[in-house]
Amino acid sequence: MRNAERSRRVHRILAAIALGLGSLAVVAGSPRRETNARIDVEQLARIVESEDDHVTALELAEWIKEGRPNLRIVDVRDSASYESYHLPRAERIALRELSTARFGKSETIVLYSDGGAHAAQGWVFLRALGFERVYFLRGGVLEWLDEVMNPVVSEAIADSAKADRAAEISRYFGGVPRSSASVPADATPVRRRGC
Amino acid sequence: MTTAALPSGIERATDRIGSTARPYSNPYLAGIGLGLVLLAAFVVMGRGLGASGAFASAAAAASVTAAPDVARESEFFARYLSPRGKPQLDWLLVELIGVTLGGFVSALLAGRLRRAVERGPRITDAARLRLAFGGGTIMGLGALLARGCTSGQALTGGALLSVGSWLFIGAAFAAAYATAPLLRRAWT
Amino acid sequence: MPLFEYGFFGAGSALLVALAVGFAFGWFLERSGMGSANKLAGQFYLRDLTVFKVMFSAIVTAMLGVFWLGWSGALDISRIYVPETFIAPQLVGGVIFGVGFAIAGLCPGTSCVSAATGRIDGLAVILGMFAGILLTGLAFSRLAVFYESTSRGVFTLPELLGVSYGLVVLGIVVLAVAGFHGAGWIESRTNRNA
Repeated sequence: MRNAERSRRVHRILAAIALGLGSLAVVAGSPRRETNARIDVEQLARIVESEDDHVTALELAEWIKEGRPNLRIVDVRDSASYESYHLPRAERIALRELSTARFGKSETIVLYSDGGAHAAQGWVFLRALGFERVYFLRGGVLEWLDEVMNPVVSEAIADSAKADRAAEISRYFGGVPRSSASVPADATPVRRRGC
Repeated sequence: MTTAALPSGIERATDRIGSTARPYSNPYLAGIGLGLVLLAAFVVMGRGLGASGAFASAAAAASVTAAPDVARESEFFARYLSPRGKPQLDWLLVELIGVTLGGFVSALLAGRLRRAVERGPRITDAARLRLAFGGGTIMGLGALLARGCTSGQALTGGALLSVGSWLFIGAAFAAAYATAPLLRRAWT
Repeated sequence: MPLFEYGFFGAGSALLVALAVGFAFGWFLERSGMGSANKLAGQFYLRDLTVFKVMFSAIVTAMLGVFWLGWSGALDISRIYVPETFIAPQLVGGVIFGVGFAIAGLCPGTSCVSAATGRIDGLAVILGMFAGILLTGLAFSRLAVFYESTSRGVFTLPELLGVSYGLVVLGIVVLAVAGFHGAGWIESRTNRNA
């Protein structure tokens, strides 16, 4: 019964390998990649107070127009919102995927959402994971639309250079500046319920 | 077709009709092969297998073709259809087609292709086919509730240590062993 | 790795992968006789425990592979989709599935292998499964509440037992190897008495 002998030997070897690998597994530690996230509240609070945590829509627009290197614009909203409108060169990464997303330490990351709240939360997450060049877009898509794409360009404004600059940026992105004459003085912008 | 189990665990497939069928391979080696294939799926795709999922997407496609309004009502089928309610070519469905091809080629090369109805000696072909269909229907219900079957829950979920999958394994084996005595006439 | 998650290739290639993975799967199933209802049924009469041997050596192999590839950093296991746990539906579904399995003698995957090798009962099981899922899917609204009940999300044995991943791995290996040993013993007893 040589076949039986040989197969018994093979089985014993397989069992030994399995038991060996299993035993080693106990002492080997975790098979998961370690995501060490640490929130240094004091440090983060300082950054928030010095307003170094966010950018305004106009600032972001300048960065894009200048062609700032290693800039990554991240949309943290759901795919339907992203499909319907997203900032130029924006990529979509959901909040819960931020921990596993691959960012270079030298990249400048700007998060945005509809109104800025979710993006601000994402900012905390990425800072906790150790990324330093992280910002969020202060007023979100709404501010982008209001100030970059369709800014109100007042004709009687004292600082006409600023008005010209706003109009120029707007046209660069294919937006349409509105003259203040066409916007009633007491008009309040419609804020969608977004985050 | 009968199989005789030898104490050492080697199986031999002996075909009374007389064709030259090769014996089955060592179950442990075959199992290791299956495990490596599953591992390859994890590594390449980040997901495992799941035969019943393929059936579900096929059923979704069929229901859409046959009775679109009813199909759209079902929250279950909605998952397998595109946002506009069209059937989609599903990874699992293609995988199951592969399973069929692989089984065919293996049997072809081993001389095990044979048109037959496998059953115990005490029941008829017709009765066996009725049991096969009925058993399949019951498995369909079970697999839907459990969100998987032996490949999706037991193998995939089992290898990934999912609690629900191990519960499924235990429940399925226990139920099968409990049911088997009632079916001796079909198999022995 | 997982390669697909990192965008190494697209949807079309993914389907090719599906075909290849499926082919290899079907190959090994047929090679071990899992396409034969008689052989599968033998499991439940304790005369042929191949089902147990094949299934659990597959589980152990994949499980060890996931652990060690994860540990080595080659595989990011947080990117692998782990089936979610729904306690009641999976217990009840498991019981129902087990009953159907004993009656049919084949499961969804093996029924395709069986049919591919010419077995008409394999085809019957496929049709039955199709009918079963179709009917249940259409009647789904009645089951929806139960279906979604007792959800625990992604819930693994290490979390449940409060022990390390590696310890669970060892535990399953030990149980499997002991089971294999016991299986050989059971088979020889059953067949000696047969």
